[in-house]
Amino acid sequence: MTQSVKNVIYKALHLLFLPIRICYRKRNGTQTHATHKEIPNEILLGAVRDSIRQGYTATIMVKGWSMRPFLEHIRDKVQLDSPQNAQKYDAVLAEISLGKYVLHRIINIKHHPQDSNLDEITLMGDGNIRETEQCMRKDLCGIVTHYIRPNRIIPADKPQLTKSIILWNKLLPLRRYLLFIYRTII
Amino acid sequence: MRIKEGFELRELCGEYIVIAHGEKNIDFSKIISLNESAALMWQTLCDKDFSADDMAEVLLSNYEVDRETALKDALHTMQEWKEIGLAE
Repeated sequence: MTQSVKNVIYKALHLLFLPIRICYRKRNGTQTHATHKEIPNEILLGAVRDSIRQGYTATIMVKGWSMRPFLEHIRDKVQLDSPQNAQKYDAVLAEISLGKYVLHRIINIKHHPQDSNLDEITLMGDGNIRETEQCMRKDLCGIVTHYIRPNRIIPADKPQLTKSIILWNKLLPLRRYLLFIYRTII
Repeated sequence: MRIKEGFELRELCGEYIVIAHGEKNIDFSKIISLNESAALMWQTLCDKDFSADDMAEVLLSNYEVDRETALKDALHTMQEWKEIGLAE
């Protein structure tokens, strides 16, 4: 079963049982507490995409280790803006299939002769060794403009950072070993 | 008490979440999830000064609950919103 079919079934079941959940909450009193819970990525990042389309920038927490060594799980955040001018080596948030989002780096763009929305984009996580994803420019939701670390904010166009990113990508054949060293020292 | 400026309540697929909302930037890294009754109080009382009694009234007019329980929940919610910086 494809992921998109699973997503449609999940959403349908979620909506189907919504009235039952509301009745259950009403029967069980008011319990008004605010809680800390995980919002599913497909919902949260969909809202991020919509906000950027409305002209806002969006700050999101990084989840996962696929952008090591430039972004760390939970420790770092990124600020995203409209992705219309995204280029090779930019980190972007992309919807690679219905409801499935990744924050990875553009490693190749195959330009479409007539419509830039149809440019074929290849993405790869900085912390991945082989896996790549494909999407079109129209599937890009946001481009990383700032890397937000606990004690500092680094603009994505900072020359030193750009050089490090290009070097990291040129060292792809050695990435497995470099990541191993990185994991042992942090 | 009053809900601070810069927070926005959104409903996303049945989940109520509060997001820090600047003039240009929306911070999705600090999200607070509210249940249905807390969201109802938020929607009814945002942009107003309110007390625990006002919050309890919202609960009493929407749920089958006695005044004592409603006031207890309202006070708890009020305390929690203050602690996490949603209200002042």
